[in-house]
Amino acid sequence: MIVAEQKTLEEIRRMITPYARVLILGCGTCMTVCDAGGEREVSFLHNALRVAQAKSGNGTHTFSEYTLKRQCDPEFLDVLSDQITDVDTVLSLGCGIGVQAIAERYPDLPVLPGVNTSFMGMAKELGVWDERCAACGDCRLEETAGICPITRCTKGILNGPCAGTKDGKCEANKDMDCAWVLIYKRLERLEQLEKMRRYYPMRNFRAIPRPKRLTSRISVDMGEDNEDNG
Amino acid sequence: MYPLVDDTTRKYQANQTKKAPVDHSLIPPCQAACPLHMEIREYVDLVAQGRIMEALQVIRSGNPFPSICAYVCTHPCEEACRRCQVDNPIAIRALKRFALEFGGDRMIQAEAETTHHEKVAIVGSGPAGLACAYYLRELGYPATIFEAHSELGGMLRVGIPQYRLPREVLETEVQRLTQMGVEIRTETRVVSLDLLFDLGYKAIFITIGAHQSLRMGIEGEDSPGVIDGATFLREVNLGLKPSLGKKVAVVGGGNVAIDAARTALRLGVHKVNILYRRSREEMPADPAEIDQALEEGAEILFLVAPTRIRGENGRLCVTCVRMELGEPDASGRRQPIPIKDSDFDHEFDTLITAIGQAPQTPVDFHVSVGRGSTIQVDTVTLTTNRRGVFAGGDAVTGPATVTEALAAGRLAASRIDDYLQHRYPLVSKETRESVSGDLLPETIEMIRKIGRLEPPILPPRKRKKDFKAVELIYDWEVAINEARRCLRCGMGAEILFQDKCATCLTCLRVCPYHVPYLDASGTIQIPDDQCQACGICVAECPAKAIVLRKLYDRRHITEELDYILKSAAQSTVKPLIIGFCCQYGLFGTGTLAGLWRGPGAGTWIVPVLCVAKVEADHILRAFEMGAEGVFIAGCGEQCARENTALWVRQRVEKVRRALAQIGLEPERLQSFILSATRENLAKEIDSFIEQVAGLYLASVITQEVKS
Repeated sequence: MIVAEQKTLEEIRRMITPYARVLILGCGTCMTVCDAGGEREVSFLHNALRVAQAKSGNGTHTFSEYTLKRQCDPEFLDVLSDQITDVDTVLSLGCGIGVQAIAERYPDLPVLPGVNTSFMGMAKELGVWDERCAACGDCRLEETAGICPITRCTKGILNGPCAGTKDGKCEANKDMDCAWVLIYKRLERLEQLEKMRRYYPMRNFRAIPRPKRLTSRISVDMGEDNEDNG
Repeated sequence: MYPLVDDTTRKYQANQTKKAPVDHSLIPPCQAACPLHMEIREYVDLVAQGRIMEALQVIRSGNPFPSICAYVCTHPCEEACRRCQVDNPIAIRALKRFALEFGGDRMIQAEAETTHHEKVAIVGSGPAGLACAYYLRELGYPATIFEAHSELGGMLRVGIPQYRLPREVLETEVQRLTQMGVEIRTETRVVSLDLLFDLGYKAIFITIGAHQSLRMGIEGEDSPGVIDGATFLREVNLGLKPSLGKKVAVVGGGNVAIDAARTALRLGVHKVNILYRRSREEMPADPAEIDQALEEGAEILFLVAPTRIRGENGRLCVTCVRMELGEPDASGRRQPIPIKDSDFDHEFDTLITAIGQAPQTPVDFHVSVGRGSTIQVDTVTLTTNRRGVFAGGDAVTGPATVTEALAAGRLAASRIDDYLQHRYPLVSKETRESVSGDLLPETIEMIRKIGRLEPPILPPRKRKKDFKAVELIYDWEVAINEARRCLRCGMGAEILFQDKCATCLTCLRVCPYHVPYLDASGTIQIPDDQCQACGICVAECPAKAIVLRKLYDRRHITEELDYILKSAAQSTVKPLIIGFCCQYGLFGTGTLAGLWRGPGAGTWIVPVLCVAKVEADHILRAFEMGAEGVFIAGCGEQCARENTALWVRQRVEKVRRALAQIGLEPERLQSFILSATRENLAKEIDSFIEQVAGLYLASVITQEVKS
């Protein structure tokens, strides 16, 4: 899941300054789960912005709010078509993808990001999320016992641990577990310690082109049966 | 962090998943157990909020004579109460009495209009007859009660001793019936139903009770000095003072036996022995009444039965035999078996038999009579073998409770209505609804254990002197704290918008009672029979997909806040300070009463049903609408729910951070949680109010300087 945190009120207030009518747009998927831009956060932000306006006495914004099921698919955005004509900007509490999806769908409308999209991760406990995947596009978790060194090792090294590990902790952050010690312990448990002995050649990240595109569609040649399907 | 679920839970969840769609209409077990299906949960909740008048309305709407029930009901609701699984049941009957006394039940007048012309005769004026008359009048029928004795009430008058049901209570209710226009004919014994039909009555309800004491069937039962319990109680209740001598024996173990024993003690008898052929465990009398009888000096000889009575020189020589308990019989109680050669003699002045009673239906009624001389009726329609003749109460069931009789009377009224209007009788809704199941072990474990608070009772020495009511009324605060223990079964949270739910698992993680769970298909379920209605998940759900089941609870804070903001807008008192205060603890019990005086005057209070239901949005809205300061006052340790203070603090902190970013002093928002160490909450709130007033003044001055 994508994890993000809401921008500070100060930053948001600065961003919306030029726009009179602001639509605060939430996202009902990842941003709801990570407490950054679900319906509750949308409503909280909406209220906080109104309080700020009422108490500071300056600013004449009008706010509206709406929460979509998901911002990153254009079909979900269609319900906004009516509302969008009455606003000057959309403050999206979707992740960076959501913001761009809106920008693409409504070319004439300024879109503002309300959250800082941070990482892909999982819930550690209520309200705490940990990064777990760097989306490197070349998964090696089979060799590292299901623990990702790219994400969880500060240096992201493929042949760890480095000399900086001490008592199972990382030299860069003494509160953080050394990913490679974790990998070692888990391999030991799985009786696959031989994987530690192997050498994994360096990866050339520069060779991975951005932006990436994926498709799960299989293209089939329909020949001349149906020209539309070409 | 995530509790491991045990087998019971797994089984429960598997069953829940099968049971689709989830049933949202569970009725609480107390209501299901009540013969009258009273809305107990509602009125207990209203008492907990200190809204006694409204509680009284709910009580009156479900019970024709609540004040009678408040004294003598055997409260099957308390046995069914799910709080039994946690600690002790809610003292429902005592709370009802509290609501009636404090709500001013005596002042309520009854009225009825006659809209039908068909006259209905009610034979007998016991609880069933009175209830039937009450509801027939409400339906608009002219009703006449025929009573053989000089006064109305049946067993309420002649059976139940005054110390359990003061006669003025009965008088008030009878008075109301007269007000409603019920025709009352006392000292009129009905001997023939044909005569009533000849007099123009279109329907007859027979409710003659079960006044005939059963005979023991032993030698010497007719000796002078032997009297049956029903007759004895009738004589005393009608004002006679039978001379009993010094030593009295009562045979039997039911409520009548205990009533007879305690009445005898009040008449000045030195020693009362209750002879009961089984042991205390099997005794059918109300355990609290047994205790009170023992406190008053009655002695119970268990496993003893009389076998022969001989009158000698004005005294009775009673031969008894000792018993032992064998296998359980048809009633489920263990059968007493006489022990051979264990006979012994006892001397008494009087022996009162109270081993059961049966109805005595005049033969001329020509209604068919079944087992134990009870009148045979159809259980759904209450019709007898005769056209237009209905029967109910003890005459049909054998000796039962007052509440059951009231229920029979109410049912009879609606069935007679059906009969007279040629309608097909429909089964009532209550009997079809399903009841909340048992609580799960891990839910029980997390529910705060709070002992039951009993109303005070007169000390034994005092109560033995006369026939004054033994039980006193709760104090205001005690009653409210007792009512707060209610688990509000089935009134909890539900996921109303499944399509909004992002399955983020917040509810599952925040619930102090481990109620929400993930079903096999990956959908979150909040089972309605486990939820404790604390409201934490409702306020925390990031998708706002969860709501409280009860519509009133759902909208309560928003509506109250809107109302307060509207009223405050017209007020000139500055600064505007809004407090979200727990209606249960702080308000209900009067802890915050001091707020209305001193610096607190002018503070606007939004009463909330537990501060855990106050959302960050509510607080922000108060600020937006011009509040200079907002505070939340909740109960903490005193709260009947778990973790409420923690969530309040978190939300307050979140809003304070937002305030700081907006440029408002975070001190304008404060939470006050009552605890043992912070007894003087009102004082703390006062100083908060002064602080906000200071901040407000400072901001006004700054503004003026600027301009």
